[in-house]
Amino acid sequence: MSEQKRRNTSSVILREVAESSLDPATGTQDDREETGQSEPLQIQMNWFLRAFSNERWQFISIPLLSILVSLIAISIMLGIMGSNPFNVFITFLQGAGWIMRPVYAGGYGQLSDLSNTLTAFTPMLFAALAVTIAFRGGLFNIGISGQMLISGFLASVIVGYSGLSAFVAKPLVLLIGMAAGAAVGGLIGFLKYRFNINEVVASIMLNYILQYAVSYFIKIHFLDQISRQSRVVSQASMLVLSDTKVGGVYVSIPLCFILALLVAVALQFFLKKTRLGYEIKAVGANRRAAQYSGIRVRRTILVTMMLSGALAGLAGVSYYLGYFNSIEPGALTSLGFDSIATALLGNAHPLGAIASSFLITTLDTGGTYMQSMMGVRQEIAQLVTGMILLFSACSAFFRWRIALSRQKAEMRAREAAASGGPGGCGPEVEVSVQGGDVQ
Amino acid sequence: MPDTDVIVEMRHITKRFPGIVANDDISLQIHTGEIFAFAGENGAGKSTLMSMLFGMYQPDEGEIWVRGKRVDISSPNEAVALGISMVHQHFKLVRNYTVAENIVLGIEPVTRLLGLIPYVNMRPVNKAVRELSERYGLEVDPTSVIEDLPVSTQQRVEILKMLYREAEILIFDEPTAMLTPQEISYLLDIIRKLREDGKTIILITHKLEEIKQVADRCAILNHGKLIATMDVATSSTRDMASKMVGREVIFEIDKTPARPGPVVLEVSDLTVENEHGVDVTQDVSFQIHAGEIFAIAGVAGSGQVELADAVAGLSPVKTGAVLLEGRDITRMLVRPRTLKGVSYIPEDRQDVGLILDFLLEDNLASKSYFKAPFSQHSILHKDAFDAYADDLIRRYDIRCSSGALTLTRSMSGGNQQKAIVAREVEQDARLMIFVQPTRGLDIGAILAIRRRMIEERDKGRAILLVSLELDEILAVADTIGVMFAGRMLKVAPADQMTREEVGEYMMGVKHA
Repeated sequence: MSEQKRRNTSSVILREVAESSLDPATGTQDDREETGQSEPLQIQMNWFLRAFSNERWQFISIPLLSILVSLIAISIMLGIMGSNPFNVFITFLQGAGWIMRPVYAGGYGQLSDLSNTLTAFTPMLFAALAVTIAFRGGLFNIGISGQMLISGFLASVIVGYSGLSAFVAKPLVLLIGMAAGAAVGGLIGFLKYRFNINEVVASIMLNYILQYAVSYFIKIHFLDQISRQSRVVSQASMLVLSDTKVGGVYVSIPLCFILALLVAVALQFFLKKTRLGYEIKAVGANRRAAQYSGIRVRRTILVTMMLSGALAGLAGVSYYLGYFNSIEPGALTSLGFDSIATALLGNAHPLGAIASSFLITTLDTGGTYMQSMMGVRQEIAQLVTGMILLFSACSAFFRWRIALSRQKAEMRAREAAASGGPGGCGPEVEVSVQGGDVQ
Repeated sequence: MPDTDVIVEMRHITKRFPGIVANDDISLQIHTGEIFAFAGENGAGKSTLMSMLFGMYQPDEGEIWVRGKRVDISSPNEAVALGISMVHQHFKLVRNYTVAENIVLGIEPVTRLLGLIPYVNMRPVNKAVRELSERYGLEVDPTSVIEDLPVSTQQRVEILKMLYREAEILIFDEPTAMLTPQEISYLLDIIRKLREDGKTIILITHKLEEIKQVADRCAILNHGKLIATMDVATSSTRDMASKMVGREVIFEIDKTPARPGPVVLEVSDLTVENEHGVDVTQDVSFQIHAGEIFAIAGVAGSGQVELADAVAGLSPVKTGAVLLEGRDITRMLVRPRTLKGVSYIPEDRQDVGLILDFLLEDNLASKSYFKAPFSQHSILHKDAFDAYADDLIRRYDIRCSSGALTLTRSMSGGNQQKAIVAREVEQDARLMIFVQPTRGLDIGAILAIRRRMIEERDKGRAILLVSLELDEILAVADTIGVMFAGRMLKVAPADQMTREEVGEYMMGVKHA
């Protein structure tokens, strides 16, 4: 009810103010809780606050802080378990192909590991971008996994089991993936548009529906009796060139890797430089203000969900017809959920998603080698990934905590100034508290 | 009355907020067992004064005495310990709890099951609440859930909460604002019963009728100053109304007589309902000509804001029609209205007028980003945004730390408002709607915006001003329409209405 937004306001006593020395341009008062600041303040902040409270750099400084904190926590944990954390991190990088292992098996090399990492990277980036665009539009698409599954399934059924040639099959796979994802995303958006159904609830429920429906069709029609998975798709339809010999070692070339990077850059351009991008961000930042400025809010929500779904569809085909070549019935991939944390770690920024996707897939693919080299249990590798994701999800908390400490520093400065202390030459300080992050 | 009867005394209370004195040297006494009302326009300082008694603010100067002792009330908890309770305008209830659960929240009676496991025993609470409810005729079932209850019942739950905590001094902040006439008379009965029981009641309201009905004495505040404390029985509402609107020094603004042109906006029989299905405006009709400032006066919640929203296309019209230069725009979306020449400075500048997390340049272009030069073939041209923002920042003197790239959230309220005014004036609209355009601003900004309104009028635009401040309306209006309880009671040229007359219509004392 808009009545509740309305605060009792204060009118101005003309005589009083005319006598006071207020600068007419800056001395204003809006809400009583939040006093407009008109005097510059000298604020004592330690190096930590100084480094992290600058809002202009927070898009990069906060994720770095998250990673740093998680690395410290992981190091302590590994230390307690008797492993040298530094060696563990090195073996992660070796396993993922970023640095040379001491020894390779015949026919394999650093390039094999790296290509494997990039193959895993591709769907992760697409999925993180799908989460990112929804976030920016003020929506939470938690149904990435379901959208990936239906896209991968339809692409497998329509193209993967057909005899189409590679030139037709590969673009067709991408198109079908996008269309299927956009359809599911659009359905969620439509439910919100038409019936105001919360997109989180709708996408979770659709996850279940898609998971069991796809499982049914695979088990009835497309099951490989030996592997108990769906039948393997044709090489022509795959978005990866598996086991290709390059420089004497086997690599799998992810054909969509470049595409994924391009899509990330394109998405950044889209959000920053296009009309629709402006509208999506406006709806995401403040629906009432967006409506006021003439944006059709619910239609924009529908479009945002379709775009998010289309990106999830690309993730689906590059996962089920790239990283894998078949579908396990009755399972949703955890990648769809990890991508939410990956997007958060990238600060809901398309270019940030590139960096965070590299980090997460490195941990994922380097984990196997790390286990065997360090003699730690398999679960530890997953724990490391889990901790990074956990701390990345805390970035909103970090941001809030930093804003709070900064406010306290500012209060102290204001009190000092009021009691005749030093002050008056520092830069003008802006106060803002960000209570929460994207929903 | 002897001094022993005084339960609350305020001595020389002054409270300042940046740029404004909310309470200026106020001294008064409230006696045990009376109904004491505070009357005044919005922003007169009634709520601030009582918030200090309830410990939400501390006075900058002056003393508060309760039951003959000087007290420093630094939090609502301390106020409650002194037997002071407050029913806020917006209730503070947990929606999915029962009535009784809300009432005991924070002081739950804990029993130990088998002497071990602690649990909240609601049975005695339900009984106690039922007894209290019957004693004061409140008709509240302690076991019903808050969200199932109508507003008037929720308010009675708040009253029960105070009674359960054995409050002796009960403060009601605008208790009738959201009630129907029948509910109001029921509430006033309850208030009388509370007085019979020896409670001291403090009533904050701007409705003189109610004061006349129940209050014993009444303090009138205007612009933070205590104008008078009157015995209600011997004073007329007309007298109170004239004191309430007061006679303030009005800053003179050069204003030539209007030269009205053809009709720009025509509103006929407009009825708007809110999301609860209640009609907030009823059959409102008026016309605004080119080169005319039409100001709607009225106390808060008279339907004037909803009317402005409906004209701008932000809320749907139930019945009636809105015509812009003869064209029916009743069912038009917001964007086409903007393009046809409606600009709007909304009441809530931070939640509606601006996207605080956007850059200033994005906000300045938020009503034109979709057309050239800002956008061509769906691609935005940031150079155009920059240039446009730089131009507006210079011409409208918007102070911001990083120019066009300033984060809007970091700007002061006055400069945020300047940004909105700049954007809306630049729309070059036939009709400009200003809702509370100077609320919370300092005098320099207020005068600048009032002058701007007159300037735009002189360019031949039609201007609809909605303001809660009579001073503002009298300073700029060519025609005044007074709304009361959703109806347009009176429309007349500004020079044919006195301040007192407008005040009487605003309070619903006088009818056309």
